[in-house]
Amino acid sequence: MTNRHLLAGAALAAATALTSPAFAQSVLRLDEVAVGELDPAKASDYADSILMFNVYDTLVLPKQGEPGHDPHLAESWEVDGATYTFTLRDDVSFQSGNPLRAEDVVYSLERMQTLGQGLSHLFGGVTAEAVDERTVRFELEEPYAPFVASLIRLPIVDKALVEENATEDDPWGEAFLSGTGAGTGAYTVTSHNPQDETVMAVNDGYFLDINEAAPDEVRLRYSLEAATVRTLLAQGEHDIASQWLPPEVIRALAEDGAQLFTESGTGAFYIKMNTARAPLDDVNCRQALAHAFDYDTALRMVAITDEVSSGSASTGAIPVGMFGANPAEEVLTRDLDAAREYLADCPTPPEDWNLEISWIAEVPLEERFALLMQANFAELGISSTIETLPWALFTERVASPENTPHISQIFVNAVTGDPDTLLYGMYHSSTPGTWQSPEYLDDADVDAALEAGRRGPGEAEREAAYSDLNDRLMELAPTIYGYDRQSVFAASNRVNAPALSDPDMAFGVDGMGFSFRLMEMTE
Amino acid sequence: MSSVLRILLRRLGISVIVLIGVSMLIFAIARIIPGDPARIALGPNATAEQVVMIRTEMHLDEPIVAQYGHFVADVLRGDLGTSLYTNRPVTTDIAEFLPATLELVIFAGILMVGFGLPLGILAARHRGRWPDHVVRVLTLLTVSAPSFVWAVILMLLFAFYLPLFPVAGRLDSAYDITRVTGFLTVDTLIAGNFGAFLDALHHLVLPAVALALSGIGQAARLTRANMVETYDKPYIEMAEAYGFFPSRIARRYAFKPSLIPSLTIIGLDFAAMLGNAFLVEAVFAWPGLSRYGVAVILRKDLNAIMGTVLIIALTFLVVNIIVDLLIAFLNTRIRHSTRGAT
Repeated sequence: MTNRHLLAGAALAAATALTSPAFAQSVLRLDEVAVGELDPAKASDYADSILMFNVYDTLVLPKQGEPGHDPHLAESWEVDGATYTFTLRDDVSFQSGNPLRAEDVVYSLERMQTLGQGLSHLFGGVTAEAVDERTVRFELEEPYAPFVASLIRLPIVDKALVEENATEDDPWGEAFLSGTGAGTGAYTVTSHNPQDETVMAVNDGYFLDINEAAPDEVRLRYSLEAATVRTLLAQGEHDIASQWLPPEVIRALAEDGAQLFTESGTGAFYIKMNTARAPLDDVNCRQALAHAFDYDTALRMVAITDEVSSGSASTGAIPVGMFGANPAEEVLTRDLDAAREYLADCPTPPEDWNLEISWIAEVPLEERFALLMQANFAELGISSTIETLPWALFTERVASPENTPHISQIFVNAVTGDPDTLLYGMYHSSTPGTWQSPEYLDDADVDAALEAGRRGPGEAEREAAYSDLNDRLMELAPTIYGYDRQSVFAASNRVNAPALSDPDMAFGVDGMGFSFRLMEMTE
Repeated sequence: MSSVLRILLRRLGISVIVLIGVSMLIFAIARIIPGDPARIALGPNATAEQVVMIRTEMHLDEPIVAQYGHFVADVLRGDLGTSLYTNRPVTTDIAEFLPATLELVIFAGILMVGFGLPLGILAARHRGRWPDHVVRVLTLLTVSAPSFVWAVILMLLFAFYLPLFPVAGRLDSAYDITRVTGFLTVDTLIAGNFGAFLDALHHLVLPAVALALSGIGQAARLTRANMVETYDKPYIEMAEAYGFFPSRIARRYAFKPSLIPSLTIIGLDFAAMLGNAFLVEAVFAWPGLSRYGVAVILRKDLNAIMGTVLIIALTFLVVNIIVDLLIAFLNTRIRHSTRGAT
């Protein structure tokens, strides 16, 4: 690059700066790796959740900083066995201006169940009826204690607007809702380009107060490279980076002065062992691996700074902070002597093992854990091969136990913040062969504890059930509990996000910390 | 019928056969990529019944020949299906993303020709002397590193350390430009917004330079090599003996015959940039078709894969036809040989 080019660049930059219009509004810019799914009935991952929690509302919201739920679109609710009756607020309108009615709630549930995507599995066996304009009644086929918690995944859509835009070939308005919003949320969708960004603007007619300093406009960008995000933040052209940046990049940003937001308590890093394939079909063999894993090194690998890490020490199957979790001080540690004792009782001698350790190609961090495991297990004389699996191939491989690798690495979150949505899909014998359950665990005690946890009826009974479950899982060792996961976001100092920085304001649900109406732009 | 028209018709005929071949090949390859598209479409929590239902909807339960038949019938109706990645018709996606890539590639192509050929001429004219050495070293440097390396280096130098250029996107979000052609440098001018035009150009500079650097080097080296060979020809010696100016000899007698082999390679480079643009688009968050193509391949989005590959193949063929016509126009022997063959 010559001086002439530099001068030309500088001239172009100056000319552009002189002709650029000034921003009249406060704009929040953030990014996510995956393209956000705007249709709330199909929302499942992090980017989808951010969109859903801002464009739509739900009947209830998790309490901030404590367990339980508050009414949101609902004014109140009553529970009678498997019947839940909600009374709706009378001051809520959709962004279209249509008033919220009970039939919108019924329509939203039926739409989600019919499309059968996203997190619709949470609402199997649920029916809804509009009793009157403001009253909706849900009937459950069988008692399900976390039903109220699961309602944070039932966003309410504007039935009249969607039906106006539905066609004979598309009766549920999928094309319409994949490009725009039809909710009551604090932000409306201005534009949606799956290759680029979704732009949202504050909804002045929102039924609750919006922080005066909340961003007027939000730009959720997609699929930015780590180097791009770092440069954008340095230039002051970006505000919150996604959690998927490599730890060293987040560290570098923190060293450059970025603040670090966190969201925790809903998930963990699970190293899953295929209990249907030898030698891991024997509990002693699995215990040997679980005791040989170097938990401390794993935590050091995800540390960002001395104070902030993408993980905290695991105490068992349930992340600290959830029902039934072990006390935070009872952390899992490496114990090679115990590992050797278990290995002595393992029917397959170590020289006959050849473990397949898989990692998901889209998550480079997992390769480092695969190498760590290979080194750890080699100390027991166990040989292993490392296999890279793209996510699409992984989900296909786990459909049968014989094709499922010996070891799979998965990050799992409780999508409603309740342990049921974290553990039932992983360990109940009726749900084998999914990405969540490559263990193929089949144990009557585990099934009983999971069912008791669902049944309730009270919090105490549920907590006891999950505590029993945790103990039983530690005996069976179907999984190596790597660490409790914490999402870390590097952010500029132009934004305050209490729900991502103050534990007393945290929602305990992935993505809900990004409720833009609660954020503050300082510039 | 003129010889150029005859060349054009022959190339068009071959192109149709190539497109059919490409479509069959990609159709087969797309189905070999690991992963069940139906399951990917529905998400990891879908039930087995839902997967079976969508497999039927997508004709995935039929033999591959029957699937190809459905595909061809849809294409002939102008329907490339719906993308699982964006949930929109593939034609909508292509119409939105292709202009972004074409604008980038055309701008990079202009840089490639605008800098590559003059550098090659300069080096050949001063062969064995310091301008030649400088050009050869510089072009070796540009050729030896792939575009994405240049993209990161340029971003670090001219956006991170020296914040002269924007890092991401095609236009500052403060501008609201009505989309007419999809080429923002054109649409901003149509809108009469010169500030936005400058901003669009400003956004183009780093990605286009990153994409063009390798081509600039290749074009310069090739032009130099061909011209050096031409300089050894007796008619150049004769021109020198007549006392023609060196600049006239270079331009008129050495460059023109050297241009034909260079043009072929430049044409291929230009078309190849459509595919190579992916990493540059990824680094600069450029919402183009190349980035889209890779995203849909990773998600096994069959309709979008087919649509993207066909469009890129079509563009490749169009560029090749243009290059062939240009060469035929420049080289009378090709025109005559074509006439003789038919």
